[in-house]
Amino acid sequence: MLGKGGGGGGGGTRAPKPSFVSYVRPEEIHTNDKEVTEKEVTLHLLPGEQLLCEASTVLKYVQEDSCQRGIYGKLVCTDFKIAFLGDDESTLGSDETQFKNKVVGENDITLHCVDQICGVFEEKKKTLCGQLKKYPEKLIIHCKDLRVFHFCLRYTKEEEVKRIVSGIIHHTQTPRLFKRLFLFSYAAATQNRTASDPQNHAVMFDTLKDWGWELERTKGCLKYKAVSVSQGFQACKRLPTYFVVPIALPEEDISRFQGHGIPLWCWSCHNGCALLKMSALPKEQDDGVLQIQKSFLDGIYKTIHRPPYEIVKTEDLSSNFLSLQEIQTAYLKFKQLFLIDNSTEFWDTDIKWFSLLESSSWLDIIRRCLKKATEITECLEAQNVNVLLLEETASDLCCIVSSLVQVMMDPHCRTRFGFQSLIQKEWVMGGHCFLDRCNHLRWNDKEEVPVFLLFLDCVWQLLHQHPPAFEFTETYLTVLSDSLYIPIFSTFFNSPQKDASIGRESQDAQSNSLNLLTVWDWSVQFEPKAQTLFRNPLYVEKPKLDKSQRKGMRFKHQRQLSLPLTQSKSSPKRGFFREETDHLIKNLLGKRISKLINSSEELQDHFREFYDSWHSKPPDYHGLLLPHLEGPEIKVWAQRYLRWIPEAQILGGGRVALMSKLLEMLEEVRTLQEQVEERRHSQAARPAEVPPAPRHSTRLSSLFPFALLQRHSSKPVLPTSGWKALGDDEDLAKREDEFVDLGDL
Amino acid sequence: MWWGGRGQSFNISPQKEEPEMGLSRPKSDQGSRMPEPRSQPSSCLASGYLPGEQILAWAPGIRKGLEPELSGILICTNLRVTFQPCGWQRSQDIPVSSEYDFALVNIGRLEAVSGLSRVQLLRPGFLLKFIPEEILIHGRDFRLLRVCFEAGGLEPQAFQVTMAIIQAKAQTCQDQQYAGITLSTAGQSSGPRKPPVPLLETSEDWEAERKQQGARGWRVSTVNERFDIATSLPPYFWVPNRTLDSEVRRAFGHFHQGRGPRLSWHHPGGSDLLRCGGFYTASDPSKEDIRAMESMLQAGHSDVVLVDTVEELPSLTDVQLAHMRLRALCLPDSSVADDKWLSALEGTRWLDYVRSCLRKASDISVLVTSRVRSVVLQVSWPPAFAPSPSLNPERSDRDLNGLLSSLAQLLSAHEARTLLGFQSLVQREWVAAGHPFLTRLGGTGGNEAPVFLLFLDCVWQLLQQFPTEFEFSEFFLLALHDSIRVPDTLTFLRDTPWERGKQSGQFKSYTQVYTPGCPHPPAGNAVNQQLSVWDWGLRYSNKQIQQFHNLGYDPEHCPDSCFPRQQSSFMVPGPPKSVWLFSRGALTPLNQLCPWQDSSSLLAVSSRWLPRPAISTESLADQEWGLPSHWGACPLPPGLLLPGYLGPQIKLWKRCYLRGRPEVQMGLLAPTISGLQDELSFLQELLRKWPPGLSSEDHSEKRDPNTILSQPC
Repeated sequence: MLGKGGGGGGGGTRAPKPSFVSYVRPEEIHTNDKEVTEKEVTLHLLPGEQLLCEASTVLKYVQEDSCQRGIYGKLVCTDFKIAFLGDDESTLGSDETQFKNKVVGENDITLHCVDQICGVFEEKKKTLCGQLKKYPEKLIIHCKDLRVFHFCLRYTKEEEVKRIVSGIIHHTQTPRLFKRLFLFSYAAATQNRTASDPQNHAVMFDTLKDWGWELERTKGCLKYKAVSVSQGFQACKRLPTYFVVPIALPEEDISRFQGHGIPLWCWSCHNGCALLKMSALPKEQDDGVLQIQKSFLDGIYKTIHRPPYEIVKTEDLSSNFLSLQEIQTAYLKFKQLFLIDNSTEFWDTDIKWFSLLESSSWLDIIRRCLKKATEITECLEAQNVNVLLLEETASDLCCIVSSLVQVMMDPHCRTRFGFQSLIQKEWVMGGHCFLDRCNHLRWNDKEEVPVFLLFLDCVWQLLHQHPPAFEFTETYLTVLSDSLYIPIFSTFFNSPQKDASIGRESQDAQSNSLNLLTVWDWSVQFEPKAQTLFRNPLYVEKPKLDKSQRKGMRFKHQRQLSLPLTQSKSSPKRGFFREETDHLIKNLLGKRISKLINSSEELQDHFREFYDSWHSKPPDYHGLLLPHLEGPEIKVWAQRYLRWIPEAQILGGGRVALMSKLLEMLEEVRTLQEQVEERRHSQAARPAEVPPAPRHSTRLSSLFPFALLQRHSSKPVLPTSGWKALGDDEDLAKREDEFVDLGDL
Repeated sequence: MWWGGRGQSFNISPQKEEPEMGLSRPKSDQGSRMPEPRSQPSSCLASGYLPGEQILAWAPGIRKGLEPELSGILICTNLRVTFQPCGWQRSQDIPVSSEYDFALVNIGRLEAVSGLSRVQLLRPGFLLKFIPEEILIHGRDFRLLRVCFEAGGLEPQAFQVTMAIIQAKAQTCQDQQYAGITLSTAGQSSGPRKPPVPLLETSEDWEAERKQQGARGWRVSTVNERFDIATSLPPYFWVPNRTLDSEVRRAFGHFHQGRGPRLSWHHPGGSDLLRCGGFYTASDPSKEDIRAMESMLQAGHSDVVLVDTVEELPSLTDVQLAHMRLRALCLPDSSVADDKWLSALEGTRWLDYVRSCLRKASDISVLVTSRVRSVVLQVSWPPAFAPSPSLNPERSDRDLNGLLSSLAQLLSAHEARTLLGFQSLVQREWVAAGHPFLTRLGGTGGNEAPVFLLFLDCVWQLLQQFPTEFEFSEFFLLALHDSIRVPDTLTFLRDTPWERGKQSGQFKSYTQVYTPGCPHPPAGNAVNQQLSVWDWGLRYSNKQIQQFHNLGYDPEHCPDSCFPRQQSSFMVPGPPKSVWLFSRGALTPLNQLCPWQDSSSLLAVSSRWLPRPAISTESLADQEWGLPSHWGACPLPPGLLLPGYLGPQIKLWKRCYLRGRPEVQMGLLAPTISGLQDELSFLQELLRKWPPGLSSEDHSEKRDPNTILSQPC
């Protein structure tokens, strides 16, 4: 291994290998000789994981910039991950190790997390795929969680290079079969292990009981019922095993178009209004079939327009809302801002940061999603109508919009348990095709659209704007977005009956026989101490109402239900703007309104009124929550997107600083409360002095807990003349000679 | 959580604020918003108005846009436009209201609305041809006042008050009489009062400050006591101990505007931060002069770095243009669509300038902290000796040097981050150092450039980035931001310390005329009687002043300046061992300190230092500490902050700039923290006072059930 030679006195003694054109001068390679020689890092394999190929003497760049530093180690590829085994774990501080993922290490890349692989051939970068004729001297791996790895293969044996590069490319870039997912080999290997009950973490919605519980919770049980396709119907490909439909819906209609064209219940609002979704009927050319479809739909609409159902407003998400194509293009552009190969590149783009950000239009897409959700919230909350979301498959934009509406309207969805249940209900059971959208199987790159990430980003905006309203933190969201690519959890590797070769029966059989893990069991990935970072210290649980109050609420609620068709336009809200209907307001606000909505004018007024009146009042964090939609309020989710860029961290700063202060205070309050409690019980006099709570002395990085373990480096645009050499006054004389020598050269 | 009305500068719920401010108002009619029977407003003006202030016109109206809507009277005087809510009365103590007053100088745009037409009013020779239904006053401090006039026979008054505002505004523009109004608070306090912040107008102040900084090698020079070296310099400043006043006098003449090298700040680790104007290259200094200059620049250190404060920083014109664009962007009716907001923001370039200032300041703080040396902020070191002064006259020691020096101090020492420390920092580096506030804020009709506002924005960025490192809060910065055009104290209404001092002589007569019943202070105490902007009680209520404190401040976080470095053996005899010019983020060696060619220069720094190849692109911090980049967290010296200045890290100060657009306002977490802090102190108190043997029941009941932590966590 390189780096064995040479004592402590500078690397100049190490000679570069003559067979390679070296542009990394060996003396610049900062390797800690002792550790390389003495510490052999072992590969940690998960149960069922198999080592496929490996290469030694690979140099991993610590930070790819002009001062190239690296660590030597072994690059391995298994059927689960690509891993680099180096020795740089020794630099981990105690605070950082606290947030260690138990499944995926710092230098591990799961195969599903690989986004793009580039090779460097004689200083030229090329994307690698398929069969290679020539093997690169440097490998650049872009990950879907926006990490960028640089591996130098120049000092590696040629056959090892061939094996590792083609192995990595084959296992990350070629299509694979569903049954070949690591998920199953892992589950098979851990069969004897007793998994914790998933119901502790989230409502899984895989039984009728779960749906019944949700209906009961939202008081939707009066008008909607949970059904199951196995109840004597023929299997419908589009439908989950269990779902909820209006009670009045004729049962034979459900299976008529394989689940297309029937309204599925998502959620009921406190006033009885419901959010429904429906996938469009297949497009037909034949007039006769069209006629049948039309009369079928008419029948459906008649059913759900009749009492006891409220008036239904249809919201067609596939025609005048976002397209998946737009989302894909925007994210491709957006992520390029963060997937940077070296710091110099970052500095080049930095000066135009805002316009680059804007031109990606990712933030605008977020804004449009939040706005759509706000509009629907207004319909449910203020106009007292049911909303029916329409989409071709009802499993992409429908999932975003309906989950956002629930996060905004239902405080239960802002707890961790509720949020996990929501994802389980709307996304996992709702049939969002994670396999295609995350391109887990590498079948079709065009299908890869970060729909779920878009949802998480929208939730992050809400969380960022109203921190006390959420039980979980942004760290939780970031970790959740990372878990999308860890193939040991079935949650995001659950194909909704797409694969014809695997029928529902066989898949279910496979899943049932195996002991599949759910991502909601966070203890698989994180120690309890690390999990405390998921809990928002600012969140306060809803104060429990006493019984009399609760009774009153229920009574009121039922009364509302009995009068479904009286269009009780929430009258108190009406008055709010009445006096402001003078010309000026129209004139002043008109411009802003037109910016916000593009539908008819009356709707705009309703929406604007609703939006303004909510924002003019102090928010109730246990009630309705609306986002700010203005230009300055939609932000970049810095923790997720910037966490691997060392320049972007602020030592001892950022929200983290405030948070850790808060946590400290919480801890102090807790110990004090304990002491008070103790005194109350034991009346014995104790020393009155309060021991000070232990304080963090380290300054955390603003990107904590993800910060790369690098010091903030403030890079000047132009190179500084090296003055590092200028040491203390004593050795000035010594050094002067060196400088003379340099000058002579 | 933002529970004050939207668009307001303070996080105080309006219901609570009112009874506090309007002491005379009976509690019973608090709920009713009906206008009271209107009395002639001059009667309520009898109290609480400024000396020399006259009411020109008034009209009843309703304030809109902010929560809550208030009915009251819009009054125009010869100094300000004020909206006086019904039942609210100015107290004698707080004659200027931060909430309801608009100084005439502050009015940036005036619009009248009638029906669908909306007219800009502040054009020369404009005649109002209709009776306005509503008037919109856009402040240059980004505030907005919207008053809707009442109909029903009072239309002529609406017309009058609008015309009065136009005329009064025009008059202030013509006169440029910024008299500065002072108030006598002598009636309330007996004896000479001590200003809340040392005003640095006496040599005692300077001496005390010097001692506090521990600058042992320095002394207070009285050479400018009569302002004969420079009117823009303070009467006292710090020079090296062994430099004679006669040397100072001679040396200063060779600097631009007579602003020679003075100590700005002594770093506890031993370094000195100096600032001076550019070399006046046309002059012809003698050998002794050069020797004096060099020893003043060297300040006894063996390592001297001259920092070029022109390169990479915006010019004054740039700052002014950017600020104007920013103001246009933040107008409530700005036509920028939400999805184009970011590029519009970038187009103002304001954030770009904020970023370059932070970056430069960060480099300077690294220079000062990393080793013991003398760091001199200088406008521009001429690259070659040029016979004609190539200095841009608008760039002097009085603008960006102050900004950089203050920022560098904020970054490197936590003393400057306290409330008192920051105020004295501004007083020293801006007010006393002769920043031309009046000109830069548009008071003299030219060379306007809000450098000070740029500075406040930079400080806000730091506050954002390090929310636990500053004792003062965003509200304090806002209050300072809003105070720069309030005509009650002279702090920001003069260009030089000389003018400020000249004026304070006249104030004695003011005091005598308007407070005949008060015991007159002896004339010698006139200086002490002078009020400054730091007398916050003039404009802000106690409740507001309480919010100046940052609840997240964690003073224990930074241990007392335990600099491991030994105090340098001060006053190294002989020439400096190395001289550098820091420009464009790079250090280049210089072979002499002063640009004049003089073979007998003390500095025999050999030229073999010169041809140094640029071999490293590492950051200054990396170079200074020479640390491997994978070093763990916290290798920085205690107290030093390294700010972020990348695109994603620089933010828009929404609470300040978007006040005219209340729909964009967002809140802080303040109540949560304050709730926690209350809980903490309650519990601590409880434990401390716990009498042995007493039952705890009564104690536990005292706990506020609304405290956010009433449930055990």
